[in-house]
Order: sequence, then C-alpha cells, then structure tokens
Amino acid sequence: MRWLKILRLRFRSLFQHAALERELDDELRFHFKQQMEQNIAAGMDPEGARTAALREFGQIAQHKDECRDARGTRLIESFWEDSRYAIRNLRRDPFLALAATLTLAVCIGANTTVFSVANSILIRPLPYPNSDRIDWISARTGPAQEEIVAAPDYFMLRDQNRIFEEVGTCDPATVNWTGIERPERLDVASASPSFFRLMGTQPLIGRYLTRDEEGPKAAPVAILSYEFWRNRFGADPQIIGKTIALDRLPRTIVGVMPQGFDFPRGANLWLPNLLLDRATQSFPLAPNRPILIVSMLGRRKPEVTQLEAATEMKRLSFAMRAAYPEAMRNNGFRQDLTLSAFSLQEHLAGPLRPAILVLSGAVSLVLLIACANIANLLLARAGSRYREIAVRMALGSGRSRIIRQMLTESLVLTIPGAALGIGLAWLAVRLLDASKPAILVRYPAISMDWRVLAFTLALMVATSVLFGFVPALSAAGIRIGDALKSAGLAHSAGRGAARTRKILVVAELGVSLVLLIGAGLLTRSFLHLAHTELGFPSDHLLTFRVNPVGFSFDRNDNPFLFEILERVRHLPIVRSAALSADIPLSEIGLPNAGAVQVVGRPLVPIRDRPMISNSLVSPEFFQTLGIRLNRGRIFDAHDFIGVRAGARPDILLREPVIVNEAFVRRVFPGEEPLGRQLAPGPSEKPVTWTIVGVVSDIRSASLGSDPPATIYRCSCSGVPLYRGGFLVRTSVAPDLAVRAIEQQVRLVDRDQPISDVKTMDQRRDAALAPERFQLILLGSFAMIAIVLAAAGVYGTMSYLVTRRTREIGIRMAMGARQADVLRMVLGETTVLVLLAIVAGLGGAWALTRYIRSMLYGMSELDTTTFAVTSVLLAAIVLIASLGPARRAVSIDPMTALRDE
Amino acid sequence: MSKPTDLVQGTLDLLILKTLALEPMHGWAIAQRIQQLSKDVLQVQQGSLYPALHRLEQQAWIQAEWGESDNNRRAKYYSLTKAGRRQLGREAVSWERLSSAISAIVRA
Repeated sequence: MRWLKILRLRFRSLFQHAALERELDDELRFHFKQQMEQNIAAGMDPEGARTAALREFGQIAQHKDECRDARGTRLIESFWEDSRYAIRNLRRDPFLALAATLTLAVCIGANTTVFSVANSILIRPLPYPNSDRIDWISARTGPAQEEIVAAPDYFMLRDQNRIFEEVGTCDPATVNWTGIERPERLDVASASPSFFRLMGTQPLIGRYLTRDEEGPKAAPVAILSYEFWRNRFGADPQIIGKTIALDRLPRTIVGVMPQGFDFPRGANLWLPNLLLDRATQSFPLAPNRPILIVSMLGRRKPEVTQLEAATEMKRLSFAMRAAYPEAMRNNGFRQDLTLSAFSLQEHLAGPLRPAILVLSGAVSLVLLIACANIANLLLARAGSRYREIAVRMALGSGRSRIIRQMLTESLVLTIPGAALGIGLAWLAVRLLDASKPAILVRYPAISMDWRVLAFTLALMVATSVLFGFVPALSAAGIRIGDALKSAGLAHSAGRGAARTRKILVVAELGVSLVLLIGAGLLTRSFLHLAHTELGFPSDHLLTFRVNPVGFSFDRNDNPFLFEILERVRHLPIVRSAALSADIPLSEIGLPNAGAVQVVGRPLVPIRDRPMISNSLVSPEFFQTLGIRLNRGRIFDAHDFIGVRAGARPDILLREPVIVNEAFVRRVFPGEEPLGRQLAPGPSEKPVTWTIVGVVSDIRSASLGSDPPATIYRCSCSGVPLYRGGFLVRTSVAPDLAVRAIEQQVRLVDRDQPISDVKTMDQRRDAALAPERFQLILLGSFAMIAIVLAAAGVYGTMSYLVTRRTREIGIRMAMGARQADVLRMVLGETTVLVLLAIVAGLGGAWALTRYIRSMLYGMSELDTTTFAVTSVLLAAIVLIASLGPARRAVSIDPMTALRDE
Repeated sequence: MSKPTDLVQGTLDLLILKTLALEPMHGWAIAQRIQQLSKDVLQVQQGSLYPALHRLEQQAWIQAEWGESDNNRRAKYYSLTKAGRRQLGREAVSWERLSSAISAIVRA
C-alpha cells in the first residue's frame, strides 16, 4: 500500500500547493520559536535570543527550497511557473510570437501531413486481424528475377510448407456486369477459399468461400464488398441468396465483407477462381498445358521467426526447382526460381516507399530551417533580455535553472504553432484524401490517427529544444559582472551572438539550397518527361478496351472484336481505327515478351537469346497512330487468307511480321533486316517469323523509358487478342465520339460494355501524375524553405547593421562614401552566401543520389541545375539584404554618434 | 547548491527513523533527542533536518500530523509508518555491517 500513499502525497504536492507552503511555513516558525525560547531560558535577552536563533537557523529560504525539492514534483511546479512567466514575456513581444507561430504552423503542418501519408501507407497496420503475420509470397525467376508466381507453386507450397497456417491466392480480374440497362465492367478478384481464412476477417453477413469452392467445379457464387453492397444494392439486408449476372452467368450472392476489407484494392466482388484446378495445375505437370499465373499470400504461424521463415523458403525453393520439368527450365521458364515471403504491407507500400522517404527527408529539412530562423529571432531578443537574466543569476538562479526556463519558454512558444499546424495538416489530409491524386489511388486511404498526434507532440518538443538550445546556452553563458556593468547597452550580447547568428543563417541557406537543387532536378526531369515525344501525335486519339463477355482461354474472340472494329471504322466522325492488344501508356498488363533466335545464326541457349516484346495489332494500327513505315511494307489481311478459312497453310510457318527501328538497332545493327527470319520460343517449333517491314519507334511502355525493341504481329494471323484494345483517330474532339462508339458496340452485343475509355492525351497526363505529385510537394517545400531563409537573412542583416550603426556613423564621419558602406554590407552578405553555396552544393552532392530513381534523362549531379539554383539563391539573398543595406547607407553620422 | 550535511548521507535518515520508533514527535524534539542521546556529539542542523523529514515523508516511511505541543503551540508531529519500521530494520542492519567493517579496518 506504500505506493498508494506515495501517489496521494505526490497528488497533494501538485494540487494543494498553497496549503503545503503554509504548513511548511508553520513548521519552520514553530522550530524557530522553540529555539528562541530555549535561548531565553538559557539567559539571553529577547533580542539577543532572536538573533542567535536566526543565526543558527541559517538561510531560511534555502531550507524551504530544499524541503520543496523533497516533494519530488518540483520539475512540474517550476514548469508551470516558467510557463506563466514565458506567456507574460511573449505578450510583451507579439511580433516574435506571431512570426514563430506562423512559421511553425506551416512547417509542423507540412511535417504532420507527410507523416500522415507515411503513417497511412508504411506504418499503420493493415486492417486485418494480426495483419503482421500476413505475408506476400513471391517467386522470382529468370535472369531478371521477374516476379511470376504460378498455380503449381501455390499447390506445392500449400501442401508442403511448415511455416504458414494458410496459403491462398487472390488475383485482380475484371468481369462484365450483364443483364442490366447499361452493362458495366467491374473490378473483381478471383480468390481461393483459403484467402479469406488467411486474411482473418469474418464476413459482415452471410459467408465466404467454403473449402470446396475452388477450381472448375466451384459453385457460381459471389461475395460483395461493403462499398459495392452499399452503393449498388442500397445496403439491402436481404441480399443473401439473390443473384447477379456476371459475364452472363447468374451467380448467387452468399456474403458481404465488412467495410475496410479491401484487397486487392478496389475489388467490388470476390469470386471463386475457376482456373485454379488442382488436376491440371499441380505437380507433376502435364506437358503443353498453359500454366496459371497467380498472386500468393500466406498467414505465418504465430511462433515462426524471421530466420525460420527464410530457411523454409529456401528449402521450398530447391524443392520447387526440382519439381518443374527439366525441359521447362532449359527453356528459361522457372530458371533460378527463388521463393521469398515478406509482409503484405511492405509489398503494398513498395513502389511508394522511396518517394515518401524523400519527401519526409525534405520536409524535415524545412523544419530545420524554421528552427534556425526562430533561434535567430530568439537570439535577437536575448540581447534585450541580457540584463534580466543577469539579475536572476545574481539573485541565485543556477545555470541549469536558467537553461530550463529558457527551454520552457521555447516550448510555450511552440504550442500555438503546433496546434495550428495540426489544424493545417488535418485540412491538407482531407484535401489529399478527397482529391485522390493518381499516385495514391492504389494505396490505403490517407487519414490521421493517434500515431500522427503523438508524432506531432514529439515533433513539438523536439522543435522547441532544437531552436531553444542555442539561445538558452548563450543566456546561461552570461557573466553576471560584465552584464550588470555594461548597463543600457541593449546590443551587448557581443561578438559571440553575432557569430552564432551568421552560422545559423549560413546553415539555413545551405539547407535551402539542397532543397532548391532537389526541386530543380525534379523540375528539369519533369519538363524533360513532359516534352518527350511519344513517336506519334496524341491529339484526336481515343482509346478503350472491349473485354469480351465470358472470357476464356479456349475461345477466340477475334471475329467479335473485328466486327466491332468494322462498325467503329465506318462511323462518320472516325478517320481510322485499329485493334491492338496493348494500348500505349496503358497501365494494364505488360506486352508479351519472348526470346527470339535469328534463323541462320549459330544456335544459342534460350536464356542467351534477346527477350523481345511482341505486340498483336490489326493492319490499320500504324496508319491510325501515325507510325512511319521506313522500309518494306505493312502486312494485311491478304497475307492470311488461308488462315481465315480455318486451314493451317504454309503461311503460318513463315508469318510476316513488322519490327521497329529499336529492334533493328538491337538485333541487326548494320545489317539488312528485311526478309530475315526469326524463330520464336523453343527452337524445336517449326514456326518462323519473316520481317516484311520496318517502322519508326514509339514510347509504348512508359514516357520515361526508351522505346522498347518490338515485333508487331498481325491480329489476322488468328492468334487470340485476349485484351481487345481499340485505338480510334477521330475528326471531332475524341470524347465526343464515345457515345456513338458505345452504341455500335451494343449493336453487336447488347451486354458488352466498353471500359478504360481515355483519350491519349489523358493517358499522357496520367503517366506524368506521379512525377507531378512529387514535384508539387518538393517544390512547395523548397518554396517555404527559401522564403524562411530569405526572412532569416533579412533579420540577421538588419541586426548586424543596427549593431554597427555607430561604427558606420564613424566611418561616414571619417569620409566613407555611401558606396563604401553599401559595399561593406553587401560584402558581408556575399561572404555568407558563398559559404552557404559551398555547404549547400556539398549537401546536395551527398543527398541527391536518393532521388536518382525519380529522375529521367539526367544525372542527379546535373551541373545546370546546381549552377542555376546557386545563382537563384544568391539573387534572393541579395534582394533580402537590400533593405538593411539601404538603411545602413542612409545612416546619418550625426544622429548615430549622438545616440550612443 | 551543495547540501551541507554533517552526517554521512543516509545516516541522518537512520537516526530520524530510530528516534521516531520510540514515539511520535516534532522536528525540534527530534533534533534535541538526537543531540541528547549522542551526548552532544551529533548536532543536527535545521538545514538538513527538515529536507530529510520531508524526503522521508514523501517516501511514506514516516507520516505527519498536526498536534498541540507541550506549550500549546501547533506543531507537526511525525510518526513511523509500517513501511518505515521495515525500512528502519533494513537500515539498521546495513549500518551494523558498515560500522563493524570500518572498525575492523581501523583497529587492524
């Protein structure tokens, strides 16, 4: 029970301060009187007894203080005292309070916002029970260690692993919602039953998939997401048992998942994975069967350590390599297979991680600048508080007590700024979440929680110590005698303070330059990217996809797609139209790529042959996009007449293909490509491709990368176009054509929706979105930094000029001209700027490597950027110091000298 | 601000606890008692006594109560708590050990 008593005592010390003080007084007075009486009893006269008692008693105030120390709550009490004192002080200096509050509000707000993003994406656990045990399981193969997880991996891992409670698959897919007025393409997921068990979330109503709902025999059921259920079915509580037609197949709704269950992000429905067939997709593999590609997840058993997991994954990697047929590995498929498992959160945040870290770094630099600025302001004020502090020290305040008081003042100064900052951040986070920048769409929603609040509080304390410790130390370093003697000299804080302020200014200018260089590099890279030629005109070009209802690997939908193409092409507002499996700058799907062997050259192992992407297009593709034919001819339907009749004539053994210039540069440098033959895939196949034409390059994959070497195959060859991409060159604004096109599609099949409808200009814009986002954020940080730094320069130069008023007055009285004074002041500024530029360039040289991956077509040590930003910094600093310089020039020697 | 202590740090605590073990008393009486019992060898300064009393009170080894003194003045009486009695036992033992160790060395 002792601790309870102690707690009560501490409580009393804190909240019954006055009573305790009174008791202390009484207690000591009693002692004093006893002592006096004893003295009188010993024969002293009353006055003598009193003096003796007093002498014996010693310093009453000090004893009292020691008794107060014994209460153990001294720090808190003196904190309150100091806070009240600080508030009184700040009221006397509203400019300082306002400047510091605004600066901190902006900087703490910016930091809190960036931390909210980092917290939402990198830190906050995913909203699934024990989500730290949910792993993303990846298999990487081939020389490039590409991530390809195959269905056989899933079955083997599920049956043989010793570290996971559950292993499951869940893949994004699309289906068409049919049987409704306006058919619609829906983002869905096809999942294994184990997927739900491993995620650990129970359905809101109904059930999730049962163990037997996997593979081709699974019942046609569907599970809705909360959002889909609420927005499209009005949160119908009787939804279980109703049907929804997907790809014309009525499916029974068996469950609704709760809000927040959002994997893969944006999935409206979860369906059983019909292709996940144990009979055909598990070891030993039957030859010539297509292998299903899946995404795999697992829930680790609770006691499994990181090391055990890594060891087990290594063991399974070896076992799995041995399980794949040798012929497959020789062909490069599943060669050097490596399995690994890491947290799902890490996997989800992966692509955004570097950007967030860079932004966090940048925004904390801004805060550092703000700290330097406020430290500067406080130092300026320290001059006028010099005497006050000296008096306090003379009255017995210890140095540590002075430092504590100064730091308390800093903390008090930070509180309103931090509060405003949280408010600003709250606004910014709401704005971010509402505007949904393209870069964040695939990530968890950005929001604030207790972690953000704790971060901001910690930031507040850290900030106050950071900007408070230089002024505090300089205050504690005051020598009492000197200070009290130099009465009246407000600026006698001395040379030391001036030097400290200069160092602070150089530091903040240097840091600003680092940020300016970072923003400059991103700007140049962005401009570079924005002006990148696609290789074809992007105006008046509409693109969309038609994913045929009831997709199947066994069916060829080309005739259906051709029919739509014919109808679209004959619309009066359409100049020309084409089909292509891949839409340039489209985010969906990567083009097919395969190894090719040049016929006639010595045979090399498949792993050493060039991997070339091949794109399936209709003959009008080149004309529609505006790709130049440089040599040879374009293939057309006549090349494939036999194929259409259903026969497999010789023509398919020598299929005509078209290549681009990038391909020629890579495979036939300095040789004639026309008429050459290529053998795709494993060399035993009798099929060859004959090059009949060479076309100009386009940036099909991304704006930031060079045009890839590409082989174009003709869709007339009968190879199925699984993904039906349409490219339509219109004579009117492209978005005006959407309705007419949709009508034509519905005439072919009234259940067929079109999706991913975007003009090429929109795609181009979207491709720039991540870069634009980073640029805007980093650019605004650099802007805040430079404004703060300029304010810092202004303040410091004003201070220096004021401090030297007398000196300047004397110089002018001695015959110095205005130009000399101007030169003196600006000369001082120039020295500061030069030092800052050296420091900033050094810092940038060390730091810009972290944004290397965000830069396109330029080095992270780009000389132009470094030079231009340095000049910019110098210009801004000179402008900021013009005011103080003018004041120096206009000093009247007479007044200046009389004032002292 | 060094604290002037005439006694080895911690020894004063032991003396106070021991003195209070007999009966509750106020600060002045404690000082007198220690002086008497030690035959004027130990003189407790007020500057050490009261901080020590307050420290012991905050540790909940002694507790305070206001009462009337012999000459009808209001005085703060301290008494030992249960925890204080245990603490006294511990400190006495460790003091015995320390002093016998020191005298062993001094006599050697």
